[in-house]
Amino acid sequence: MDKILGKRSALAGPYVIWAVGFTVIPLLVIIKYALFDRSGAFTLSNILAIFDPVHLRALVFSLEIALGCTAICIILAYPLVLAISRLRFARSGFMLVILILPMWMNFILKLLAWQMILSSNGVLNMIISALGITGFDISNTPLSIMIGVIYEYFPYMVLPVFDAVVAIDADVIEAARDLGAKKSTVFWKIIFPLSLPGLMSGITMVFVPSMTSFVTADILGGGKLQLVGNIIEQEFIQSMNWNLGSGLSVALMIFILISMTFTVNRNEREEEEAW
Amino acid sequence: MGETILELKNISKSFDGKKILDDLCLNIEKNEFVTLLGPSGCGKSTLLRIIGGFVKPDHGQVFFEGSDITSMPPEKRQVHTVFQKYSLFPHMNVADNVAFGLKLKKKNRDYISEKVRYAMRLVNMEGYEERMTTSLSGGQQQRIAIARAIVNEPKMLLLDEPLGALDLKLRHEMQKELMRIKHEVGITFVYVTHDQEEALTMSDRIVVMNQGIIQQMGTSKSIYDEPQNAFVADFIGDSNIINGIMIKDRLVLIHGVEVECVDEGFDPNEPVDVVIRPEDLVIVGKDNGFTNGIVTNLIYKGAYYDISVAAGDYEWSVQSNVPAAVNSEVGLFIEPENIQIMKKPKSSDEEVIDKLG
Repeated sequence: MDKILGKRSALAGPYVIWAVGFTVIPLLVIIKYALFDRSGAFTLSNILAIFDPVHLRALVFSLEIALGCTAICIILAYPLVLAISRLRFARSGFMLVILILPMWMNFILKLLAWQMILSSNGVLNMIISALGITGFDISNTPLSIMIGVIYEYFPYMVLPVFDAVVAIDADVIEAARDLGAKKSTVFWKIIFPLSLPGLMSGITMVFVPSMTSFVTADILGGGKLQLVGNIIEQEFIQSMNWNLGSGLSVALMIFILISMTFTVNRNEREEEEAW
Repeated sequence: MGETILELKNISKSFDGKKILDDLCLNIEKNEFVTLLGPSGCGKSTLLRIIGGFVKPDHGQVFFEGSDITSMPPEKRQVHTVFQKYSLFPHMNVADNVAFGLKLKKKNRDYISEKVRYAMRLVNMEGYEERMTTSLSGGQQQRIAIARAIVNEPKMLLLDEPLGALDLKLRHEMQKELMRIKHEVGITFVYVTHDQEEALTMSDRIVVMNQGIIQQMGTSKSIYDEPQNAFVADFIGDSNIINGIMIKDRLVLIHGVEVECVDEGFDPNEPVDVVIRPEDLVIVGKDNGFTNGIVTNLIYKGAYYDISVAAGDYEWSVQSNVPAAVNSEVGLFIEPENIQIMKKPKSSDEEVIDKLG
């Protein structure tokens, strides 16, 4: 038995090499940069720099964008999932392909397309001014960043939630209705609680990237609105201050780890209760 | 005759162009234990789902206590279902599962806990309230599913092959339990099964279904002793079903032999189905019965021997308390009153029998 297990774990070898080379070592390098200043002396100031008002504002702004996007993704995902999970397999497969289709296109290209649509003299404003409405311009606003982020990450919310909802036995839903539950009650008492594991993975996959998607903020925010990712990027690329950049990255990572520990713990508890 | 609680009027239902139920009428009485019995695909589960409100019939009406509930959604019906796969809520513990319906009705907490305690006692599952449903065995889960339905005091309980997933011993135990529960709560049970033994054991009345129509209705005894057609005879218990010709009243030709029987009222020389139960055949010495045959197989079944006797091109199935030596030539004897003569069924039924056989 041990022998077989030993052989099996050897199969993970290639990935372990990959993970060590491209995740663990770079992470250690970043932590090393974060903990020392340019002269090589140990310091916590790079990490604590997250509390600098400019950085803090970017962090809060990122948080707002990420929470907003995650919430909107959840609100959009459930009706869609409920609709397509009832379709016959072939048709629900078709709907999922349409949903996934944008993921096969280049990220930057999609953002440039959104820029064309949302900019001051873009398609959206042309249509709106043709309707005689003036003074409406969402280019370079948090809203346009959110549109870009949601467009990019929405499938990552839908897919795990869809998986969780499809896995619910149709008999369980019928049993609830049989016992007197209206359709809305079935959703809140049965479908939603049983989909929580999927929802939690959806949140993890949408929330974290939304906080740090600096390219989206660059292209759709006109360079004026800064996510914490933009600040980090600037420290590395423009200021060439790798120590501060790494420090802010580590601070962000700690922040994300804390918030994810909360969700994952909750997730595990739900799963324990569910199974 | 008691008071009618449920009336199904001219129910038809097709799925994908295939007729599942065909102009079916059925009345169910208060406190009756009715079993819908038939092979898979006979329409019995669809009929149950129509009563539960999960399927709307294409034609026909469903009346519950006199009012038309054909279009009423399941959550408004005073009917609860026990599903084959138990279908307990996996994210709730046992007590929350049982309390689900009462909580929806916004009953107060004392009332709910009192009712839950009663239901748990009824199904012999006291002490399991805090357990997660997934930690229970199949039999225990089914008990909880029954408690979860009964706690709401429905007027009718629908059971869709509830014991189908249990092993034989547990199934027998649960059959007795179900009859006890039925007796204790005194509500109407409509039970769906393909297991004829289960139907014979529990039911006040059996409704034998095939191809979307009712083949025969009656008590266990009348269905078993007097099947109205070859399908019922074949489906209920083991039977020898042979082509025969009714020469005249009280005389039938089986395999070229004239055999005395007690049936009358057929046309002279009318082709008929002859049904003989294996336990009614008696093995006697060669030339002492209505036919002779060679014993081809002998299986000890505990309470009796299952013996196959080949006579001509037909193999008789015989159940006997005494064994017969394989390859020996024996005679087969039958009392005239144990022969059932039936009119040839419609051609569609014959097809089904061929498939089953």
